[in-house]
Amino acid sequence: MGTLDIGGSQLDTSWFLLLGAILFTLGTVGVLVRRNPLIILISIELMLNAVNLTLIAFSRQLENLEGQLFALMTMTVAAAEAVVGLAILVDIFRVRDLEDIDDLSELKG
Amino acid sequence: MSNSVLALLILLLPAAGAILLAGRGWRLPRIVTQIVGPGVVWAAFVVTVVLFFNQVNGDFTYWTWIKSGSFEVPFNLLIDNLSLFMCLVITGVGGLIVTYSVGYMAHEDGPSYARFFTYMDVFIFSMLLLVLAGNFVFLIVGWALVGLSSYFLIGFWYERRSAVLAARKAFVMNVIGDVGMILGAFVVFVQFHSLTFAAVFKGLVHGCAPTLLCIFGPVPDSGMIELAAFLLLVGAVAKSAQIPLHTWLPDAMEGPTPVSALIHAATMVTAGVYLVGRMHPIYDVAVYAHGAVAIVGAVTALFAATIAIVQTDIKRVLAYSTMSQIGYMFLAVGIGAYGAGFFHLLSHAFFKALLFMAAGNVIHAMHDEQDMRKYGGLWGQLRPTSIMFLIGALSLVGVIPFVGFFSKEGILGAAFSRPDNLGLTVWGIGFVTALITGVYTGRMWWMSFAGKPSAERPVEHPHEAPPVMLIPVAVLAVLATVGGLIQTRALGVGPSLVSDYLDRVVTAQSWEENSFALHIGLVTMLVAGLLFLAAYRMRPLTARFPWAQRVLEHKYYFDELYNAVFVRTLDRAADVGFRDVETPIIDGSLAGAGTRTTWAASYASLLQTGYVRNYTLVFVAGAVIVAVLLLARFAS
Repeated sequence: MGTLDIGGSQLDTSWFLLLGAILFTLGTVGVLVRRNPLIILISIELMLNAVNLTLIAFSRQLENLEGQLFALMTMTVAAAEAVVGLAILVDIFRVRDLEDIDDLSELKG
Repeated sequence: MSNSVLALLILLLPAAGAILLAGRGWRLPRIVTQIVGPGVVWAAFVVTVVLFFNQVNGDFTYWTWIKSGSFEVPFNLLIDNLSLFMCLVITGVGGLIVTYSVGYMAHEDGPSYARFFTYMDVFIFSMLLLVLAGNFVFLIVGWALVGLSSYFLIGFWYERRSAVLAARKAFVMNVIGDVGMILGAFVVFVQFHSLTFAAVFKGLVHGCAPTLLCIFGPVPDSGMIELAAFLLLVGAVAKSAQIPLHTWLPDAMEGPTPVSALIHAATMVTAGVYLVGRMHPIYDVAVYAHGAVAIVGAVTALFAATIAIVQTDIKRVLAYSTMSQIGYMFLAVGIGAYGAGFFHLLSHAFFKALLFMAAGNVIHAMHDEQDMRKYGGLWGQLRPTSIMFLIGALSLVGVIPFVGFFSKEGILGAAFSRPDNLGLTVWGIGFVTALITGVYTGRMWWMSFAGKPSAERPVEHPHEAPPVMLIPVAVLAVLATVGGLIQTRALGVGPSLVSDYLDRVVTAQSWEENSFALHIGLVTMLVAGLLFLAAYRMRPLTARFPWAQRVLEHKYYFDELYNAVFVRTLDRAADVGFRDVETPIIDGSLAGAGTRTTWAASYASLLQTGYVRNYTLVFVAGAVIVAVLLLARFAS
């Protein structure tokens, strides 16, 4: 074990995990540093898919289907999240001209 | 009908009358109230008479009222000679008085009229429950209910401030007694683990039955029995207006006169005597508490009689005389002469109800004037009422052949013959009281009925009361005249029906009366009668001792003392509590908690920047810290 058979060629599992970690970090940094709300949503999708990749990689390696099931679950949740998040954004765009997420700071204490 | 149903019927009839009058009485025509109000009492009287002549005896259990583990209270009624005797007095004299009220309360408007008879029927029901109860729980329920109906009836004219205050005073005093009763019942329960009279009295003789859970062992502890007896005595003292819980009874005269006759003379205030009689197995064991009953009674008898000398309100004289006569009853049951005590209860119910109702006729004729100094000369104008009042007065003084002579002489004779110092002591006090009784009764009689009409009299030509008020008084006058014939033991000859009847239940008097006591008694009553006559000329006598006059007019300063010790102390404690505890500590701490929270929140809210990315950063940082900690843990 330790390697995965992808279309005949052998690839070590750690490559998949490394890719997942890189994607996750990119997503996190995106959420933290970008100010455009749409980009933030996309970054969140990136993080979710990084996790999916990790789950599937482990699922293949451990020959356990639970990981894949969990990935399907994550996609469902991600779809729902995108719907809600976009709907909120559309609503905000309707009432005001929003360029920057930092404009939404009315709940300051 | 079976006896158990009849026994229940005694209770249910007045209850049904009260419910009907309370719910519908103010809408139905007046005649319905006039029939139902006294009618149910008379019906209960008939049932009682049936049970009396069938010589029913029994402890009827209907159902279990409370059951919790080994604790069980049945709903049981105890029918024996003692409870039937009391029921006869309550329903018989009660029926006469409620009938009399039909006339006396005639000036009330519809709703108030129905309300009065509702209260009266509630009272009769409560009093019957008290005497028929077969266990401590129902005894206490009846005990509290008579206090409640007394409260209602004293405060019947609730527009009068004095009536409301008097009602409240009576209620508070009675509740002190109720608490004593309840604590006494607790002690009894701890000792015998049962609350039915039958089980408790059996346990007193044989110790706790093996089937019962006995916490303190099979043999009842004599100290605990004394404690229970003293606590029950507190209840008896409060209800019967004996020293030191007597101050409510004179004020209770604020109620309508039939109420004074029924509740504050004939029945409720004798409940204490009934209690001691019912609990006689306990008092037979608890000798100190039993002696205390006699002492309390004797002291109250003398104390109240002396106050009665200077009172000017005719009802208050009668109220103090009631306290005094109940003192005699306590004295009698306290020394163990139950027969004599209960005979005096019966005779007192006759002549005191008679006196109150005759006084009610006078008050009625005088348009609610109760001050005797403003009467005078009624003898010629209210002849029937005057004659009946005189019969009551002579009976109270103890003139032969009225019923009061036989009953009072029975008590004094029993006390004198009792072969120990207690008997002689209470006899001495009773002897002096008997003489004073002659004085104050004579003063009341001569002041109200003799001489010329007072210049201040509110009515020049008073009208005699209507027949509905005269006939019940006349019946009682006949009973007060010839009633003594049922127990002439005081004369040494003839029957002693009351004592014989009750001795089957209570402990019989254990000593014989000697003939010397009889002679002394005859002389006592003769002197008392002469003092009654002499009181005609005694009016200036009290004026010669102004300090004594003042002390008596202030009723030995009991009200002032209680005000200073209890009322004002509590008022002051409440003031201090409000000023030094409520305002600074309780109010202050709550207000302080509020302001501090606001202050803290004003700083804590600075953390809330409103920037989403700020929150995300904190969240990510937290996640990283947790991840690092987890890794560190797995790595090690």
